Amino acid sequence: MTTTMTFKYSHTIGFLAATGRGFTNPVDVAINSQGVIYVLNRAGPETPIRLPSKRISMCTLDEEFLGEFGTGGTGDGEFWWPSSIAIDSQDRVYVADEGLQRVTIFGKNGEYLGKWGEKGSGDGQLEYPSSIAFDGDDNLWMTDSGNHRVQKFTRDGEFISAWGQRGSGPGQFEGPWGLALSDDGDVYISDWGNDRIQRYDTAGNLIEEFGGLPKADAIHRPAGLAVDGKGNIYVADWGNERVRVLGPDGSVLASLRGESVDSKWAADYFDANPEEGRLRNEADLVPELDPPARRDREISAGVESYFWGPTAVKLDGEGRVYVADCLRHRIQVYQTN
Amino acid sequence: MEDKELGLMAHLLRRTGFGATLQELEEYQAKGYEATVDELLHPEDAPEWNDDLVRRYHTDQNSVMFFESAQSYWMYKMINSKRPLEEKIALFWHGLFATAYGKLNHAKGVLNQTDTFRCHGLGSFHNILMELSRDPAMIFWLDNKDNHKHAPNENYGRELLELFSMGIGTYTEDDVKSCARAFTGWTIANQDYMSVRAARDSIWPSGRIDWQFQYRPEDHDENEKEFLGRTGNFNGEDIIDIIAMRPATSWFIAGKLYNYFVSDTPNEEAIGFLAEEYRKTSGDIRSMLRALFLSDYFKSEDVWYARVKSPTELVVGAARLAGSYQTPRWDITDLANDANFMGQEILNPPTVEGWHTGMEWVDTGTLVERVNSAALVIGDAKQPGIQAMIQRLKDRQDTYQPNELVDATLMLAGGLQVSEGTRQRLVEFAGNWGEVKFTPEDAVACSEQRVVELLQMILSTREYQMA
Repeated sequence: MTTTMTFKYSHTIGFLAATGRGFTNPVDVAINSQGVIYVLNRAGPETPIRLPSKRISMCTLDEEFLGEFGTGGTGDGEFWWPSSIAIDSQDRVYVADEGLQRVTIFGKNGEYLGKWGEKGSGDGQLEYPSSIAFDGDDNLWMTDSGNHRVQKFTRDGEFISAWGQRGSGPGQFEGPWGLALSDDGDVYISDWGNDRIQRYDTAGNLIEEFGGLPKADAIHRPAGLAVDGKGNIYVADWGNERVRVLGPDGSVLASLRGESVDSKWAADYFDANPEEGRLRNEADLVPELDPPARRDREISAGVESYFWGPTAVKLDGEGRVYVADCLRHRIQVYQTN
Repeated sequence: MEDKELGLMAHLLRRTGFGATLQELEEYQAKGYEATVDELLHPEDAPEWNDDLVRRYHTDQNSVMFFESAQSYWMYKMINSKRPLEEKIALFWHGLFATAYGKLNHAKGVLNQTDTFRCHGLGSFHNILMELSRDPAMIFWLDNKDNHKHAPNENYGRELLELFSMGIGTYTEDDVKSCARAFTGWTIANQDYMSVRAARDSIWPSGRIDWQFQYRPEDHDENEKEFLGRTGNFNGEDIIDIIAMRPATSWFIAGKLYNYFVSDTPNEEAIGFLAEEYRKTSGDIRSMLRALFLSDYFKSEDVWYARVKSPTELVVGAARLAGSYQTPRWDITDLANDANFMGQEILNPPTVEGWHTGMEWVDTGTLVERVNSAALVIGDAKQPGIQAMIQRLKDRQDTYQPNELVDATLMLAGGLQVSEGTRQRLVEFAGNWGEVKFTPEDAVACSEQRVVELLQMILSTREYQMA
């Protein structure tokens, strides 16, 4: 490696909003062929007043809000524990739901097109589907987390194959969360409960695993992940409240803590609420924590600019890294060289 | 004799935790009573509850931005903790230093305060008061952020003396004023910004931000103060030094601990014994509780079932017995709501005085809620705790007469001992079915259902509703 990768914070998209322009606990992001960004809002708890916050928001990289669709519930086109979003070659939008054990399909403007999936542990059945991604043939890959396995379907939900079982050995999983496909078809899995990333070929043969790093770099409870054309792996290191970038050999290239500044939508809010904005400007938003926080998640709760509960990382092919900063209701965007 | 020993162990676990299954009671019994007391008093030796699954699936409970999320999270923790006394002592201090979400609009702030109680709640009372005085939720709750050098606010100073340590009648109005002045400058970081966010219930742009304690020396009153007969340039630490040494404090805390752990009816002699222990140990709560649990004041059968279970104790105890909510479930908010409907909104006590306990938990409305909630939680035969109880019944014998089934099921429901009248009614209830058989196979489903119905009836008894 002669080129050093850099990761520069670009900007933030987002603002906490129960409905309308903004997000509520965004757990995943997908970008279609037209550059429309779809943000999946999990929200919660599952009480009547909060259900409308479960939705998909549409916006652009430049923070233009384009609309939203879907809502909380158990009916067609509704969500309970939406977990992952992916887009096929026709720009159709697929959403996995860990609560309803199904995949729901929408058109690019949010029109409901259908659903598939049922609860169970047999071939093609689902138990907490956590992450979905399409390969170049429009096959849908999924981490079937509650069954501790990977499944492959046609985009219409016909079962193709599956592998994996519960455990901590090679080829085993403990509540796998994220799934990403490389350009050459390899499948990368965040093996959440085992604190490692596993890489497989298309047939399900284990190629290698990344874990067991020195404590300072160790991944803890990894969530969503992405792989770039060079084989670098971008992991939402949920348990460490960070994003880790690993080289193809598993070495740590970067460890990002988050450095969000207010989005345009946030700036609009403070324009409309100038006294609150003035006091915010006077405040030290990276305060000394007292008592010193024991855990990274407590630090994130007290320092607003940091990642807090990052759940997904997505790339756009132009060197941008999108991080679903779930508990801060925003997307932090980084730019790589 | 054996029943009495098991009964005592069950009594200990009802008071130091949320009850125990028969298997747990047997495991404790094998260790012995005193060893069990010591184990319970050192919760840090037991594994911490791993909340990863709950935070993964209940995204809202990872940040606890909403009140119902915070309540649900604590419910999960109480149900699944291997450190029952840690939760129980947190609940105790939460009731005594009652801090409510309703004023703060910051659910995580109140929940964080319970972590302080977990961490320090069995230590010295002096240290507990120190931590309490630095707790951001308390600083907000009793307006100490508005307690300034040139404009004192007496709210925290007054309640510290009246409700949190010595009790009314043990100090003067001048003491209150001095106490307040000593705590000037004890505030939170970014006070003005955080205050306007709280006042407007602002969650924008990115959700809640945890509060942090901050001491501002420039806002502290450095002048001389007179407090409880002493004179000096007192700061908050000095005030707590003085309070913690007062005999009135020893009696105050002893009375509260006795009421919470022993009986709804005060016992002056027992409280005096505990107060003496406070003075001997400089207010070490762990030492006080050890002395209490090993004393006849606690062990006496006269105080078994002498406390009405709080709604939280009732709901959590039933869930632990059923083995439910061990993994994320959507309806966890319903469980918290059950306790709310029974009159105990955890994290949102009605006033700074906390909840009125004892028989005040029970009226015609809440009694129905108490019975219905417990029956609902225990009514799902698929839950692992219920399945374990049924399995033990099956392992023991194939066929049960009504009286045998009642006695065995009472034992399974946490070593419950009931009056002869209650037992007779339960036997009559079970008698409607005649024998209950676990063979042949086609009889099992019906028999399991009957065990569940009997458990529902047992959880409705006066004895189960008491602790």
